[in-house]
Amino acid sequence: MKFLRSVLLSLTVATSALAAGHDFYICAATNRNYVVGSVIVTINGVFRREANGEWTHLGNNDVTVTALSFDPRDHNVFYVAAINGCWRTLDGGKTWRCTTSWDMTELKDLDVDPNAPDHVYIALPDGIAVSPDRGNTWPRLENGLPDRGKYTQTIRVDRTKAGRVLAGCETGIYLTENSAQSWRRVFPTKDTITDLQQSPSDPKLWLAVSQSAGALISRDGGLTWTPLAGPPADKALYNITFDPTNPARFALCSWSVGVMTSEDGGATWVERNAGLPGKKAGFRMDSDPPAHCVWRVGVDPDSGRLYASVIGEALYSSDDFGRTWKNEGLEGSAVNRFVFLPRATK
Amino acid sequence: MKIFLTALLFLLAATAALRAQPSFSATTVPSREIVTDAAARRAAYLKRVQEVIDYRANLVNRADPAGIDLAAVATMLARHEDPKFCSEQVIRLMKAPGTGPFWMFPVVCVTYMGRDQLSSEAKQAMRDMWRTTYQIRGDTENHWAMYYISLYLISEMYPNEPASSWYTGKSSAENLAEAKEYLIHWMDLATTVGQGEYNPVHYIGEYACPLMYLASWAKDPAMKTRGHMMLEWIFSDLAEGTLNGVPVGSHSRTTDEALIEPANSLAAYFSWLLFGNVPPPAGFGGWGVYFAPAAPNYEVPEVLYRIAMDRDHDYLQKDLKRTRRRWRYSDVLFAPIYKTTYVRHDYAVGSYQGGVSDPIQSHVWDVTWAVPNPRGQHNLMFSMHPESSPHTMQMYFADYPDTTAGGAVNLSKPSYDSPDKLVGSSPYEQVFQDLDTIVALYDIPPGTKFPHINGFFSKDLTKLTEDKSGWIFAQGGNAYLAYRPLAPYVWTQSHWAQAAIRDSRLQSDSLKNGTIVQAASTGEFKNFEAFKAAINALPLEFSLEPVPTVKMRTLRGKNIVVAYGAAPLVDGRVLDYTKWKLFEGPYLNAEKGSRKLTLTYGKLQRVLDFNTVKITDSVIP
Repeated sequence: MKFLRSVLLSLTVATSALAAGHDFYICAATNRNYVVGSVIVTINGVFRREANGEWTHLGNNDVTVTALSFDPRDHNVFYVAAINGCWRTLDGGKTWRCTTSWDMTELKDLDVDPNAPDHVYIALPDGIAVSPDRGNTWPRLENGLPDRGKYTQTIRVDRTKAGRVLAGCETGIYLTENSAQSWRRVFPTKDTITDLQQSPSDPKLWLAVSQSAGALISRDGGLTWTPLAGPPADKALYNITFDPTNPARFALCSWSVGVMTSEDGGATWVERNAGLPGKKAGFRMDSDPPAHCVWRVGVDPDSGRLYASVIGEALYSSDDFGRTWKNEGLEGSAVNRFVFLPRATK
Repeated sequence: MKIFLTALLFLLAATAALRAQPSFSATTVPSREIVTDAAARRAAYLKRVQEVIDYRANLVNRADPAGIDLAAVATMLARHEDPKFCSEQVIRLMKAPGTGPFWMFPVVCVTYMGRDQLSSEAKQAMRDMWRTTYQIRGDTENHWAMYYISLYLISEMYPNEPASSWYTGKSSAENLAEAKEYLIHWMDLATTVGQGEYNPVHYIGEYACPLMYLASWAKDPAMKTRGHMMLEWIFSDLAEGTLNGVPVGSHSRTTDEALIEPANSLAAYFSWLLFGNVPPPAGFGGWGVYFAPAAPNYEVPEVLYRIAMDRDHDYLQKDLKRTRRRWRYSDVLFAPIYKTTYVRHDYAVGSYQGGVSDPIQSHVWDVTWAVPNPRGQHNLMFSMHPESSPHTMQMYFADYPDTTAGGAVNLSKPSYDSPDKLVGSSPYEQVFQDLDTIVALYDIPPGTKFPHINGFFSKDLTKLTEDKSGWIFAQGGNAYLAYRPLAPYVWTQSHWAQAAIRDSRLQSDSLKNGTIVQAASTGEFKNFEAFKAAINALPLEFSLEPVPTVKMRTLRGKNIVVAYGAAPLVDGRVLDYTKWKLFEGPYLNAEKGSRKLTLTYGKLQRVLDFNTVKITDSVIP
């Protein structure tokens, strides 16, 4: 397996965005209503966008890939979070190994420590595991997490300090500053933290979204958190992103509100759904109440282009931060992750 | 969300169901006389196995190879029929492989059945598939049983092969070790704190088939015996929890169709195959076909056979099971399920204590009555709260809230998000059972999506009477039934399961609610009127505020007090679930944590001991 498969997904994409300094990867499922055991009739998993706008598929044809993270020393080494576990390739996707065993399932997120790249952190439905050796072993490091309430949806390494990591769990945001030897809760919540992001321009600035506490901002490296006015706190928000080209611009998404953006550092927010598929279309006919069903947003650090994945519909992009949208193809897809990888290193 | 089951192979088998399936199409029903001669029992079992094999192999249309699946190949191989043609089909099928446990175990079946028959090219095509095609493990206990048994057996078949030759990126030895470790872990869990997917009306096949393979083909003698014992553990559950072959009482997982027509289930298929006491469902339940090729390797022990067959002696069986794994919103990973089954000649009453066992397909309680011919019969009565809740789904599935209900609907659980559904459990239901009395109480919070309860009243009930006392009386087979709604109701219908349109659904919209059901054999009373009089004569007090509460005397003379949120009282004594054993009854017994199940019928005894990995038969002096 672990073949490198090139897939033409009939995209009509301007290539200008790809001429700059980042490679663009996504984790996506394009197989609507997959049922375990059936033949997968589309290609799913990790894709890299080529300069001509086509997508190259890497690795397993897996509808369950939720995240990927690269070794900054060698971009041929990367890790994928999936239902079976943490998959690792050492050769740019030619061969793969499921590095975890039966006791770790349904991975929600993972992140490589850029300052200690042998260390990989994974978010699990029942806690957190950390590999100190590039995925060869996976001890659970949960000291400080509660016995129950440690469902972990998201995990993010602070790029400024080795071993400093934030985790979004069922019961709040947890922080370790010693490579997960111990955790402490820095912000309690009634329900799951769904995403954590560190600002590309100011490493002290972090954003979070949640199922019960709306959107949150931290200006001290994740030690304290404040709710952001605007995004609803009574709806699940799925993820949030900075615009690396403009420190004042944030975007978030959710099933219910679709895309919301802020262009003033989170002070005010606007729904940006004009041009996205309307409520109750296609796959989402059963949605009750009607919803926009936006699954993931991301921003291209080279162009500022905002991407939004509408589940079961397509990938959309906006060159004016959500005011207008363009269909980018990937029909029927749900994109679980946008990753823009600096080309500077190998 | 990524749940789930597959209907494809099931449909393939079911659509051609009526062709050459004499046990299904026969107008007569199997005799329920106990066959005392062991050789005759064995011969009858093998004859049924052969019927399945012949049925499926005979469906093969060589002019249309595209319609030939792995079940067809497996059954042809079981008949040692045309290996060249089978090889060609295997090669064709491996060009469009499936992904995951429902695909893996059929491939394993064909691999082992074809060891001495398939061409080297066909074997190589299957071997290559394990290298090139990613297999999704799934997220459910039955998925993992299928996945890891398959991985175990195929790794054992191809030992000493490098990581590069497997989709996992792990060597044969690594795959084998991982699979073995999980399977032993799972068996430990099931035999100490209880089975997760207990009495699965449909999913029994997803356990029985791969376990049959493990018992048949594992080279490691200990794993082979473990496979045999776990298979029999599940069959013991089946034998205990069926009335003349059809499933009764609570189940962890069922389907809309199988729930209201218990004989139309994979559980009934296995009753038919193993015990011969019920007609099989159409197409042998689809997945059931995959058991047949290896089935000759299994010998139904007499003690198990007699437990399944004897319905002349009333019995009360109390079991400890566990819920599906709870990822969040719970203090425990697995919550205990206290299951009660009371079986008599004419009917059975079964339940667990309420709450959510599995968020999608659980069935909490019912009265099932015996019928001479169960085909097409909706021979049960129950009530339930049709919960549909992202919060509950998120407790069990690692998904976002908004996609869960739609995901379940889209992925083969069509009734999940419907107010008139009949399948499902609810956190707002608490159930108490004493012999053939059920008290189900509901305290549904305001704002709950479907704020009502559904009561199922079968088309097959007779003498349905709404008594001025408030009881609804009816007769099902030779059982008299009394159903007491504790709040006003209306009659309507459910459209789940096509056949249900002829049944009636009692809908009661009170958030605080309840149902009392009592059952008795017709032979216990002079007539229906006498039964009604007896029920009406029993003391009964109930209130719905502040919480639903029932104080009553049962037909069996027990004084019970049941209040929502409180431990039930029986003749003044508090019901203490913490003392429940893994199995307790006249037939099946196991201590919690014991890893040892004792089957007893008369003087016959059989012990499945996972501590010593031994099966021991004995005759009690």
